[in-house]
Amino acid sequence: MASQAGGPKDKLVDDEEVLQAVVLADSFNKRFRPLTTRKPRCLLPICNAPLLDWTFESLALAGVQEVFVICRSHADLVKEAIKESKWSKPGSGMKIVPIMTSKETYSPGDAMRDIYTRGLVSSDFILVMGDLVSNIRIDEVVRVHKERRKTNKDAIMTMVVKESGAEHRTRARGDSSIFVIDSETSECLHYESVTGFPATKSAKIPREIFAEHPEVEIRNDLIDCSIDVCSVEVPSLFQDNFDYGDIRRDFVHGVLTSDLLMKSIHLYVAQEGYAARVQDTRSYDSISKDILSRWTFPLVPDDNHPSGHNYELRRGNRYIAKDGSVVLARTCKIGANTLIGPSSTISENAQVTSSVIGQNCIIGAGTIIDNAYIFDNTIIGSNCKIQRSIVGSGCSIKENTQITKGSLIGDGVTIGPDVALSPFERLSAKRPSLKHTPTTDDSEDEDSDLEGIERDQESIKGSIDLGKDSNALVWPNGPPDEEDDPDDVENYRNQRFMRLGDDVSDILSSDAGSETSEEGTDSSHVETDSQYDGRSVSALSDASAPSDIHTFSDNAEREFRVEVKQSLDRAFAEGHSVDNAAVELKTLRMASNVSLTRVREAVIAAIVERIPLVDSGAVQQRKEIASVIGRWGPLIDKIGGVDAVETVCLLQAHCATSSRMPLFGQILAALYQDDIVDEDDIRKWHSLPASKGEGRKPSPEADSLKKCWVIGSHMIKQFDEQESEDDNSEEEGVAPTSRNIRKEGERDNDSSDDEQMLRSRIVSQQHTSSQSGEEDDDDDVSSPPPTDPLSSSSSENSGEDQSGAAKDSTEGSSDDGSEGSV
Amino acid sequence: MDLETVKQDLVSREFRAVVLAGFGNELQPLTGDYGDEPSPKALLPVANRPMIEYLLSWIEQSGIKDVLLICPAIHRPALYHHIHSDVSSSNLNVDLQTYDETIDSGVGTCELLRHFAHRVQEDFVLLSCDFIAPPSLPLSTLLNQFRADSGSNGSIATTCWYATNKPEKASSPDEWGPSAPPTSIVWDDASSTLLHIDTADDLDQNSEELELRMSLLYPKVRLSSNFQDSHVYICRHSILDALAQKQHLDSFREEFLPWLCKVQYQKLKRRKYGHILYPETYAQSSQTTALLHSTLLTLNAVDNNVLSPVSDNEGDVTASLKVGIVLHRADAGFAIRVHDLHSYVEVNRRSLAAANYALPTDPKNRALIDQKAQISADTIIGDSTKVSERTTIKKSIIGRHCIIGKTVKIVGCILLDHCVIEDGAKIDGSVLGKNTKIGSKAELTRCVTQAGYEVSAGDVVKNERLETSDWTAAAGMSENDDETGENESDA
Repeated sequence: MASQAGGPKDKLVDDEEVLQAVVLADSFNKRFRPLTTRKPRCLLPICNAPLLDWTFESLALAGVQEVFVICRSHADLVKEAIKESKWSKPGSGMKIVPIMTSKETYSPGDAMRDIYTRGLVSSDFILVMGDLVSNIRIDEVVRVHKERRKTNKDAIMTMVVKESGAEHRTRARGDSSIFVIDSETSECLHYESVTGFPATKSAKIPREIFAEHPEVEIRNDLIDCSIDVCSVEVPSLFQDNFDYGDIRRDFVHGVLTSDLLMKSIHLYVAQEGYAARVQDTRSYDSISKDILSRWTFPLVPDDNHPSGHNYELRRGNRYIAKDGSVVLARTCKIGANTLIGPSSTISENAQVTSSVIGQNCIIGAGTIIDNAYIFDNTIIGSNCKIQRSIVGSGCSIKENTQITKGSLIGDGVTIGPDVALSPFERLSAKRPSLKHTPTTDDSEDEDSDLEGIERDQESIKGSIDLGKDSNALVWPNGPPDEEDDPDDVENYRNQRFMRLGDDVSDILSSDAGSETSEEGTDSSHVETDSQYDGRSVSALSDASAPSDIHTFSDNAEREFRVEVKQSLDRAFAEGHSVDNAAVELKTLRMASNVSLTRVREAVIAAIVERIPLVDSGAVQQRKEIASVIGRWGPLIDKIGGVDAVETVCLLQAHCATSSRMPLFGQILAALYQDDIVDEDDIRKWHSLPASKGEGRKPSPEADSLKKCWVIGSHMIKQFDEQESEDDNSEEEGVAPTSRNIRKEGERDNDSSDDEQMLRSRIVSQQHTSSQSGEEDDDDDVSSPPPTDPLSSSSSENSGEDQSGAAKDSTEGSSDDGSEGSV
Repeated sequence: MDLETVKQDLVSREFRAVVLAGFGNELQPLTGDYGDEPSPKALLPVANRPMIEYLLSWIEQSGIKDVLLICPAIHRPALYHHIHSDVSSSNLNVDLQTYDETIDSGVGTCELLRHFAHRVQEDFVLLSCDFIAPPSLPLSTLLNQFRADSGSNGSIATTCWYATNKPEKASSPDEWGPSAPPTSIVWDDASSTLLHIDTADDLDQNSEELELRMSLLYPKVRLSSNFQDSHVYICRHSILDALAQKQHLDSFREEFLPWLCKVQYQKLKRRKYGHILYPETYAQSSQTTALLHSTLLTLNAVDNNVLSPVSDNEGDVTASLKVGIVLHRADAGFAIRVHDLHSYVEVNRRSLAAANYALPTDPKNRALIDQKAQISADTIIGDSTKVSERTTIKKSIIGRHCIIGKTVKIVGCILLDHCVIEDGAKIDGSVLGKNTKIGSKAELTRCVTQAGYEVSAGDVVKNERLETSDWTAAAGMSENDDETGENESDA
């Protein structure tokens, strides 16, 4: 009866309105892959019951009588599951109708249009996702909604949100939202989605809403449960606006911003009860824990378990299947917040904490399972360690296997023995043969994904050892080469916010810097410049400290560096102008969202590596250096913002680790000669403790740093001599000096040394002054006090009695500070 | 007496009130010069009482004894005279300081504070002379909130915002100048923290949208454009140090306070100014509150916290550098800053609601009011004012020493002192500066006049700001008027 799709019109009497619900049993994203390659997300078990059953249970609690389940991927399986479930039995009180939608349904919006064309709903209905766990009285929301509809026909939708806190573990950080609400009417006035990456820095609230709503609430503490009470016209609105895809980002946003529709959307802020969506692996983890901690009461494993299991609740939220089929060894340890399914066996000395074990599982002796989720029929050998991971059903994990945080093991995978997976590994089983797959109606893209992975298996897998009998395919990890839309919610970095066990510390920490530096003005150049002190030092330490946490940002940076190198190689090879190269780098920098320091670092590295090593003597070598620096040196200052001290620091750091270490002095001299750095900068660099390599362990790098510093000392000594003597006598020092180089480079043009010196100093002083103006932005960063009287007027504003004119100049320079770079 | 004063000095003062009395440019032409004599804004009467009186008594009731009153140099004689005259009944210890300024070249409030910082050795309350608070909002409430906050979590300032009063339609015409645009503020209700003030700069940068940093969006904040700044700021003394640092800021209300709000949640600013604003306990490294307030940063404890889905890392809170807020809602009583003509009319109109006119008991004043004059109950008439026969006065405030002729009709007006209304004039909804003279049978509707202005007999003027252009003539004339007025009253 439930299987006859498309027969929603019933003989139910009209005057008693049937409460209808529509369940979108497809997630329209791939966050759970590879767990979802063989079954839809809504059939993944959470606490040993399929998500869909939890959803039905939640709807039954609200007194829903008729449910339409929109299935897309693996529709057969969903249909089958519904047929088998207790809801299809007579007397369940809820009528469930699976609706097979076409493969062309790519978004919730498409599903809504399908609902419209099929004419499924006849009155106000509840729209939920197939991954909902809730104990909220949705019928109350429906009542409120209908009440409101009586007076306000334009109130077309009521979204249910749950009050929590900004840091609630069930709140998806990668995909959350800010709601602006009129507190009187609880009308939603503005919706803004928040992503973890690119990090949403600010909320933009249209001012026009203040005109009608002088006092509003801005809520950043709500869990969007995706429970919407919709009026009948909602599907038709989707039909009218064919570009609506996502319900929140497109539909809600569209309705709220539209001047034509004149519809309003309201919020129902649930103060009590629990509702959350299993929308990613991270929330899978937190919702499992919420269920085990009984926040979802009355939907808890020992009572109302959606799959009808019987569990015994023991002290400390331990749930053990009641039928006596569970075998617990005498020496095993079961920690708090743990669920063990029927017919499972826990062997001697095994430890299970904060985890869920499915049915018919065997946990080997001495195995540690911590914060992990093991689906049905999985066998885990002895002395394994599984942490913060999800292991699919029918897997076989051989002995001594380590599965570390964030790993997802698809159904039927065999790995081990003696294998250690790196964090966030994703594995799925090879398909026996393409012909025999029962899920032939898998959507095209999924198949192609899988095929791609099979094809590239060798390259992806690399050196990862999965054990001799393993049938596992390794899914690619790390950011994809090119992303369709880096601003999309489903971009790789943002996905990481939704990943189980990922603390995203690298993304966050790279964020924190830009966040702080944002203060005052909006100019990005100013930001990075004001960060200079910390950054340049850290750049030095980065070079040497072997980072044991090889993290994403390192990868990204490495990648960025490679790209810069490629871009510069191209520029070198094709002889681009410096300006063009600079533009290209700027674009690259915007695209990769890295700090200016990194760009400079990469540019310097590329330029230094560009210098050919010449064996035929120092003179020749100097010529090479001079020509490369002369051609490309200006690029260092063109990439946006001038910071010569940092340039020297980075040069030192790079040389210390490069084969071009011996060239450091000459390169520095060449830079000096080309006015890219000047004497003061070198002195300043020289006085930095980090330049000396202080505070780092003795290592080759530290030695090299020290050497560079010594070269710098020579140079400064010569500056001093030069100043005191101020004559044209030449000395042949051991270290190549600016003077030597200068002589050589200036043979053609006969300008006098002193004149050149003076000019270069004035120019660079101007650099300093404009720069310190930038640093001032709106706060007075202690800028390096200019030594030159030429520049003292605008850089310091801490004078005792500053007149208005001086103030203006400071402000002026901070305003257009970004353009101030010479 | 002597003993008492000695004692007072021994007890260290907690607060000093710093009252700023400006020119009141927005109140032109009422604050325009009368001849050579300035008309200080602070002395503009509200219900026949100079507005600064309200403020001073408000301060006095809170227990603050010391007031630093800062006014332009040319206002000094008038204010000095007022404070030391009998009219002012306060026992406050007023330190009157002046600065040189002309109406055109305004000196910023920050500049003033920096200049007089050495006279303020303790925490201070910065007020503007034009705030009139209802009895339901005593200053001590604000002080108490400040005391509580600064004691418990290192608050640095407390502000007070009052609900905007929607002026009645047509009570004041547009010709009187634009009324102040609403300011949007963002605050956290639970901790009564002021988080953001939407400044004119923000508006310039993005007039379509209001941009709020994620880090200031505490989980739940409120935003309203319904409140106005009362210009009552209770500040830690350290604010003066911060002011000295931020030399380029000019206006306390429009620039410094929004900046101060940002210090609460912007890490770099905290690091830079935290030790200035809160030197006592502020440790350089303690960013805990900033982190707490930051919604982008995760607290590591969250993941380990299995049982409760909500993390509570509330412990260990150092100086929050909080800017507190006290909201005064419209239903809790009428508060207003008298900073433009609209609010001036509004506050006077409101004061009439409580008025209950009765004929003066004093025989001398009684004699001046003609028997046949009709004066409604919602009217206030100052001393020594003469009202002639068959004159009707409704919903109006008449100053002292005015002379009102026969069959005059005055409805919904405010007449300052020494006005002369000749026979048969009709005045409706107008504000007349002092010594204004209205010729006979003239009709004035919704006008405002500068001190000493003269409306010729039979003129009909509507919706205008009337300003004297010829000083000497006007001054000479009005002096004559005064004399004649006195003569008349004598007679």
